[in-house]
Amino acid sequence: MNDETAPQNPSEDKPKVFTVRPREEYTSVDLEHLSDLEHVRKRPSMYIGDTSTRGLHHLVYEVVDNSIDEAMAGFAKNVWVIVRGDNSVTVEDDGRGIPVDRHEGLTKEMGHEVSTLEGVMTVLKFGGKFNKGVYQTSGGLHGVGVTVVNFLSEWCEVQVSREGHVWQQEYERGMPLGPVQRIGATPKRGTQTTFKPDAQIFSVTKFAYDTLHRRLQELAFLNRGVRIHFEDERTNQKETFYYERGIVEFVEHLNRASDALHNDVIYISGEEEGVGYEIAVQYAAEYTENLHSYVNNISTTEGGTHVSGFRAGLTRTLNNYGKKEGMFKEKGPTPTGEDFREGLTAVISVRVPEPKFEGQTKTKLGNGEVEGIIQSAMNAGLAQHLEENPKTGKAIVQAAITAAEAREAARKARELVREKKGAMGGGGLPGKLRDCTSKDVTKCELYLVEGDSAGGSAEGGRLRETQAILPLRGKIINAYKSREDKVLANEEVRAMIQAIGIGIGEEQDLSKLRYHKIVVMSDADVDGSHIRTLLLCFFYRQMYELIAKGHVYIAQPPLFRVRHKKDVYYVQTEEEMRQQLMDRGLEDAALTTDHGERVEKERMARLCRTLASMEDSLVALERRGISLRIHAERMDLETGRLPVYHVFHGREERWFTTRQQLDEYLKTHEAQEGEAKVADPPGAGETVKPEEAAPPVNGAKAVQVLVTELHEVRSINTGLKELQELGFDIQSLIPQERTGEQTPRYVLVRGESETPLEDLRSLVAAVRAAGEKGLQVTRFKGLGEMNADELRDTTLDPERRTLLKVSMCDVAAADEMFRVLMGDKVEPRREFIEKHALEVKNLDV
Amino acid sequence: MPLIRCPICRRTFDTDYSPAMPFCSERCRQIDLGRWYDEGYSVPVEREDADLAEGWDASEDE
Repeated sequence: MNDETAPQNPSEDKPKVFTVRPREEYTSVDLEHLSDLEHVRKRPSMYIGDTSTRGLHHLVYEVVDNSIDEAMAGFAKNVWVIVRGDNSVTVEDDGRGIPVDRHEGLTKEMGHEVSTLEGVMTVLKFGGKFNKGVYQTSGGLHGVGVTVVNFLSEWCEVQVSREGHVWQQEYERGMPLGPVQRIGATPKRGTQTTFKPDAQIFSVTKFAYDTLHRRLQELAFLNRGVRIHFEDERTNQKETFYYERGIVEFVEHLNRASDALHNDVIYISGEEEGVGYEIAVQYAAEYTENLHSYVNNISTTEGGTHVSGFRAGLTRTLNNYGKKEGMFKEKGPTPTGEDFREGLTAVISVRVPEPKFEGQTKTKLGNGEVEGIIQSAMNAGLAQHLEENPKTGKAIVQAAITAAEAREAARKARELVREKKGAMGGGGLPGKLRDCTSKDVTKCELYLVEGDSAGGSAEGGRLRETQAILPLRGKIINAYKSREDKVLANEEVRAMIQAIGIGIGEEQDLSKLRYHKIVVMSDADVDGSHIRTLLLCFFYRQMYELIAKGHVYIAQPPLFRVRHKKDVYYVQTEEEMRQQLMDRGLEDAALTTDHGERVEKERMARLCRTLASMEDSLVALERRGISLRIHAERMDLETGRLPVYHVFHGREERWFTTRQQLDEYLKTHEAQEGEAKVADPPGAGETVKPEEAAPPVNGAKAVQVLVTELHEVRSINTGLKELQELGFDIQSLIPQERTGEQTPRYVLVRGESETPLEDLRSLVAAVRAAGEKGLQVTRFKGLGEMNADELRDTTLDPERRTLLKVSMCDVAAADEMFRVLMGDKVEPRREFIEKHALEVKNLDV
Repeated sequence: MPLIRCPICRRTFDTDYSPAMPFCSERCRQIDLGRWYDEGYSVPVEREDADLAEGWDASEDE
């Protein structure tokens, strides 16, 4: 201490002069104050936590807190914080200014003239002792705050602008260098404090811009409407923090780098029993909780009663909401409080008149009454917000359900690992596996066989040395009303994982692969293809490496068995079968017409090929409800082509054969009526509503123009042209009224047999039927219909089978398809299946 | 650096940075695995008639 501290410039022209007496004149109170100063400087950590970075910055906060209090009491609007070049800091506000007049109580106690300002700066707990109730609630350790800052500063200067004058006092290591002086006139008001932390006390004396930035911004968020100007003269960095929406903006700021689950920030505020609260909540697509809680602007990192009240209210309200909206599935896991906190970003700011702080770092609120207040505020406020914003409510609860599912899945995964370790001793292979004998894994193959009796045939027909069989049975469940679904039972999934040996997910180890080929073998029907999709999807998702390294294959069991006398052969696909029957049927076949014409040989073959190629298109046209008989009447007589484009213009209906005609029509109408009615004519044959594709220009009222492209008619037209070359027209495809006629219109002649035909569309079927004579064609309804030998000959024997290697591309597409197949929404799923029925059948391409 | 959608959360992610292909995260992979174990994934059972709409009656010709 500087004992010789003498009054500086004790100028007589200043009306209020308080001198600092020499030490001998100190009263007991003086001595007490002196010992306070010594105490603070000896044990600074007791007051500011520590004497390194944290404590250093704490000094600034203590001073700023006073200004914030002044602002929150409505007397100040701005706070300036300036870091000077010498690492001193100026904090200024435009509040009322600390009173500079004589303080009665203090003067009496001290036994000499003391101003309030000097008291605030030099008497520990001054604010607490004498000014209780000045602010309803205040931040920081007030009253202790500025005094401690002064005590721990190498030097400190305070200037108060009030009532037209500027008052000033300076201190060195806590001791006033002189009395409070009036140093000039000013129209401004407010308090300005500049201090330089004492290097004798602090191990670190350089302020960190980012640290101050963070806290000052936080204060601006917490104290809506206060403008905090921050400037660092060392680097010329400058920033102003001002938030009209306070902690709502805080939450948005915290979520700035995340995807919010809902745009609205839930905001709840009020006051109960003198406890003021503000809560802002928004969920983001994150897995962690981001909760910031404050009591009187102090960050309560250890939480406390306000946080527990918040959590209880949150969980309860969201749970009730989810129940009420029927969002929790019977089978699914129910979200816990922890699940409801996943992705939560929340700011809780409470103002408590007499906060009790507990915990190791004294950052845990202990006031019991706060818990109930916050919980009821949450119950009421949150419920109301969800009621008014159901989209938000659903998004939040859905996220919690997913979180619960993830938690449950993780638990199961852990259990399974434990289980696996326990089973290690027994080799850990599934009981249903019929393993192969070879130890050379590069030669070994695992057949995954779905189908009731197929497993047995496969076991009988396999090459025991290298081929292992794992029979899988799809489990039928009842999903939705009147719809049956098939799932891969839990045991089956586990059996596959065990048999394959590489494990799943993170622990996948391809070197433990037990078979170099994993072959999926399922029935050649739609059901089989669904099962195959399910299995491929499983591998793709959970054994990605297996697919990436090309270890997965699809078996190609035949669809038909053909017996001809003593020969037996197999046919893989429907197309192939049809082709074969056609080829056989065409031998020696001829067609005679009622005009006495005869078609045979190459011309006959061409006719059948043409008709066969047209058939699917004709069926497609009829499926639209357009019969060929009626459509034929719309034929362009010049070109012999059928119209492809169907246009509804208002109530008018038009047909066009070419795109050019359509465009011309559309253009003319546009020109005539000066309306933009049609955007792009359809490209992919989709029905396009122009007003959707492009909104009408100039607000012109849209006349509905509906263009439909019948793409199947294109192939019909091609076919018709070929028919013409062969001497037949469109009427040959349409049954005719032929009352009284005796001779059949067409006759298929094949050796001795004659088959009368109404029209040419039935010719192909008749030829195929003829081709089937003498053959025994069996369509396998499933793998189970094949015996062991058949299965070996066609599907298992490496010499004779066809295997398709599954590529990453195939399987990613399968996954997409699977997602739709699986979809919760019944409609898109049905549409999808109908649309893709053919592709699904032939997935094995 | 192809971007794909995660089958679970449907978020788009860069395949180069995923630790749990084809998912965006280990967590999503685990949710998926949980669904397999729970028999949560199913495919529809097709009725015979739908399958054989344009049926092959040849087998009756024996």
